[in-house]
Amino acid sequence: MTRFDYVRPSTVAEAVGLLEAHGDDALAIAGGTATVLLLQKRMLRPELVVDLGGLPGLTGVEQNGGGLRIGALTPIRAIERDAIVRGTHHLLAEAASQVAGVRVRNAATVGGSVCFGEPQTDLPPALLAMNATATIAGSQGSRDVPLEEFFLGPYETAREQGEVLTHLSVPTPVPGSGGCHVKFTMGSPENKPVANVSALVTVDASTRALADVRIVMGAVGGVPMLAHKANDTLKGERPSDALIAQAAVRASEEADPVEDLRGSVWYKRRIIKVLVERALRCAIERAN
Amino acid sequence: MYLADMDMPGMAHAKVLRSPFPHARIVSIDASAARALPGVVCVLTRDEVLADSTIDPYYGYVYRDVPIVAIDKVRHEGDIVAVVVAEDEETAEDALELIDVEYDELASVMDIDAAMAKGAIQVHEVFKPIAPELRPVEGTNICHHSTLAKGDIEQGFREADHIFEDSYSAPAVQHCALELHGCIASVGDDEITVWTNCQSPFPLRGELQRMFNKPARVIVPYVGGGFGSKSRDRLEAVVVAAAKLAGRPVRLLLTQEETFQTFIRPALTCTVRTGVKSDGTIVARHHRFAVDVGAYSISGARSANNTLKVATGPYRIPHVLVECDAVYTNKPPSAPYRGLPTTQHTMAYETQLDRIANELGLDPIELRMKNLLVEGDVHVTGDLLRSVHAKDCLEKVSSSLGPQLKGEAVASNGTIRGRGFSCSIKYTITPSEPTLATEAGVELQEDGLFEIRIGTVNMGQGVDTMAAAIGAEAVGVPIESVRILHSDTALVPQDHGTTASRATFHTGNAVLDAGTKLRAELLSTASDLLEEDEVRLELSAAGVAVAGSSGRSVSFVDIARHRGGSLLAKGECWVGGVYTDESGKEYPIASTFWTFGSVGAEVEVSRETGEIRVLRIAAAANVGKAVNPEQTKAQLEGGVTFDLGPSLFERLVWGDGGQLMTTTLMDYPLPTLHTMPEFHVDLLEFPYDQGPYGANGVGEMGGVMVPAAIINAVYDATGVLFHEVPLTPETVLAGLEATGA
Ligand SMILES: Cc1cc2nc3c(=O)[nH]c(=O)nc-3n(C[C@H](O)[C@H](O)[C@H](O)COP(=O)(O)OP(=O)(O)OC[C@H]3O[C@@H](n4cnc5c(N)ncnc54)[C@H](O)[C@@H]3O)c2cc1C
Repeated sequence: MTRFDYVRPSTVAEAVGLLEAHGDDALAIAGGTATVLLLQKRMLRPELVVDLGGLPGLTGVEQNGGGLRIGALTPIRAIERDAIVRGTHHLLAEAASQVAGVRVRNAATVGGSVCFGEPQTDLPPALLAMNATATIAGSQGSRDVPLEEFFLGPYETAREQGEVLTHLSVPTPVPGSGGCHVKFTMGSPENKPVANVSALVTVDASTRALADVRIVMGAVGGVPMLAHKANDTLKGERPSDALIAQAAVRASEEADPVEDLRGSVWYKRRIIKVLVERALRCAIERAN
Repeated sequence: MYLADMDMPGMAHAKVLRSPFPHARIVSIDASAARALPGVVCVLTRDEVLADSTIDPYYGYVYRDVPIVAIDKVRHEGDIVAVVVAEDEETAEDALELIDVEYDELASVMDIDAAMAKGAIQVHEVFKPIAPELRPVEGTNICHHSTLAKGDIEQGFREADHIFEDSYSAPAVQHCALELHGCIASVGDDEITVWTNCQSPFPLRGELQRMFNKPARVIVPYVGGGFGSKSRDRLEAVVVAAAKLAGRPVRLLLTQEETFQTFIRPALTCTVRTGVKSDGTIVARHHRFAVDVGAYSISGARSANNTLKVATGPYRIPHVLVECDAVYTNKPPSAPYRGLPTTQHTMAYETQLDRIANELGLDPIELRMKNLLVEGDVHVTGDLLRSVHAKDCLEKVSSSLGPQLKGEAVASNGTIRGRGFSCSIKYTITPSEPTLATEAGVELQEDGLFEIRIGTVNMGQGVDTMAAAIGAEAVGVPIESVRILHSDTALVPQDHGTTASRATFHTGNAVLDAGTKLRAELLSTASDLLEEDEVRLELSAAGVAVAGSSGRSVSFVDIARHRGGSLLAKGECWVGGVYTDESGKEYPIASTFWTFGSVGAEVEVSRETGEIRVLRIAAAANVGKAVNPEQTKAQLEGGVTFDLGPSLFERLVWGDGGQLMTTTLMDYPLPTLHTMPEFHVDLLEFPYDQGPYGANGVGEMGGVMVPAAIINAVYDATGVLFHEVPLTPETVLAGLEATGA
């Protein structure tokens, strides 16, 4: 670790002010599970660490109009265990429960998971499947960015250096919806994903057709990816084994994985196919 | 207390500058800016080492090929170029960035094939062998070539009805002990003191004394796992040299990444050619293997050589040829790894045996039963085998897994189940030099308690409990009456090292010897004091009493006082020696004891993803006598668990430039609770006449059979025989698809 100064601001405005003033020399830190490892390896060398942990009002889950407002500092473990999330936003709780081991989940925050922009994550695909919006505070006030526009590339997001993510808004799925998050790892399930899939589907009660489908693929591109072709294949159709298989093949073609220690391009596409089938079957069953 | 918790008055902190290249000549090193940084105590480079005429800059007990810091060139990524000593670790890290090194990059050889290719660049231009058994091939990277033969291999293949040949490979992995490597050194005018988590304090002491020309004391606190990665010397000479230069105690603690660059299990390739009769009788076996010892042959060449003895397995084979090459490469140096290449040999010969069974239409268990060694057989080394019971072990694991369900009954949601078995034989380190006897002391002290002194290192495996049990039993007092003093070279007698399943046998025997002698002394002293014949005396927790109801006794406190305050007995266990064959010819024995065992595995394979779940493992070994049954069982379970990782997903990966890619445990998955199978462990207790109370070594036995059993189980499930580990989901799926299984 290199030496740095440390501050723990008590208002969002103060935090934003410090981050703006110090620019690239400042590092915001929430749970620290991603950043401290990089600090130890000297891959991050900030002059000032701005600990967001003391900011008021950024922790916890609230019902808010047609959905949930999740504070950026909410620990991932709290999402997993929250009764409201488990009820109306089950997909989110399921994805949260698959992040790392319980010790990491206790420390890691939802905001850190989103702002880090790491491709191998579980929560961002689920948030994207649920059509979440990020609210970011800057010196000019707050702005809302739909998650579809938030992730720009590996470790690159729409958040500017001087901004703080304050919360995420996640709409409540319409009745008849079901979601499912499936993750494939090598070794322990606590490891980072080789690939994962978050699927949210809505089944029309009268026709049994799929009124809406949002399949998101994780770890097979620079950012979590909506599987547009697979979603289009399914939308408006009644699900069948053949149709699900067809959508899974489309999704695996859309995926854009790179070869790394977790697998080759060929293998990751194969895993996506399997995961899309599994996630769809499970989500449709839950919708019914 | 572990090493990282220890602090010494005036202690400074070291950090190491490591080579970014796998192979390069060092043109220049400029450390002046680092030295000038406030808080820096000193910087050790080749200049300081070479300037100190009292230091031999090279160490190594097989080859003297490891420099304290790089002298002419760096030979692997992570090779030590300089050491900064500073008031704290952060300052030392800051200073590392100020050292300017100019490298002249050289071509590198990152694997066995590249290193053995004609015209390959040499990792070491000059060989510096120390161990007498070494046979380097000049002008190549082969630092050791050796063979073991029995019978006439050509004749054997002529007698065979069928010949099978298979090639195998296993990559480098790391031991991943929970406690990382570390060392504190202090160099006084008259003595070097080293606190280190080393598995072999006495050989380390010898090497430090030789290098630094000064008496040394090595103190080993509790060690958080070693598995071979902490055997012998690696870090200590570096820290001693730094402490000598600094003039104050210095501590170095490695990170996980540095540990991956310090000591690894070598990669191995092998080809097995086997001749069998149609009824399954094995008549010939040609086993060729090459071990990637890495940049320095710290133990690699000897480890490879030692496993010649077990490369053909626990089978009676009349015609045998084993050939071994130990090869220098530009990977980190290799360390012994629990079981040594016995594991990879077992993987090769045991999985080929299942192919033979399948192709000849024989049952894999019956095929093994037909060929397994039995009591009184002569091993390929010429050793007469006793306390074998290999067949009993196989029967045990086969019955404890129970009847196997076949076909559709066990297949569900795209998975399929299978079962595989393996058998093995393991030797122990058996040096021929008599100076390497293991010694122990048992002392009655003035408080009436007994202190047992052993050189064995406690790494969580339970040696203290073992020594206490044997010592108490030998003296004839309750276990509560003994205490243990271990692994401080100034306070305990010598031991060769806590490796190769040797502690219970060697240290146990030495403690038994000492305890027996002390008991005799106690009885004779009590006999004098009580004026009673020894045969009428009995020992208890309190002292020695006259049998019967007279109530006459003398306490241990009084016996100690009578003998000048304490009473010490020394014991020892000699290893090695010779056998005499029928013609009267003598030859050195290859191993003080041999351990036999079996493992059975039941796995579930996903046809969709290639993922393997190991559902159940049965393990059995002939342990002779389980001194502590729970701990002995735990050794087998721990051994199995240890090798599940390298069987399923562990591997170190280097990129095209020779840089390690798996630098953290996030990229190098380890077994977790999720990986754990259901265990069925059986201890067979057929006593070994030379062991303490009949005990045999067993520490390495559980793991060595695991990859073979898993590969065989996958073969049973899918019909595809894999010739490599780890069986990652991708490897398995690719294998299934390639064969249309
Ligand atoms: C051993 C291990 C295993 C893991 N396994 C998984 C896994 O299986 N699946 C998975 O999804 N993830 C996994 N992770 C990643 C983990 O989810 C992230 O490390 C965690 O979510 C980051 O949250 P944090 O609060 O600790 O972030 P920090 O480390 O504090 O910060 C991360 C980044 O986000 C920025 N940041 C944080 N909060 C804010 C905010 N409110 N506003 C603006 N910027 C902010 C920081 O500046 C920094 O750049 C694993 C991590 C570890 C250490």
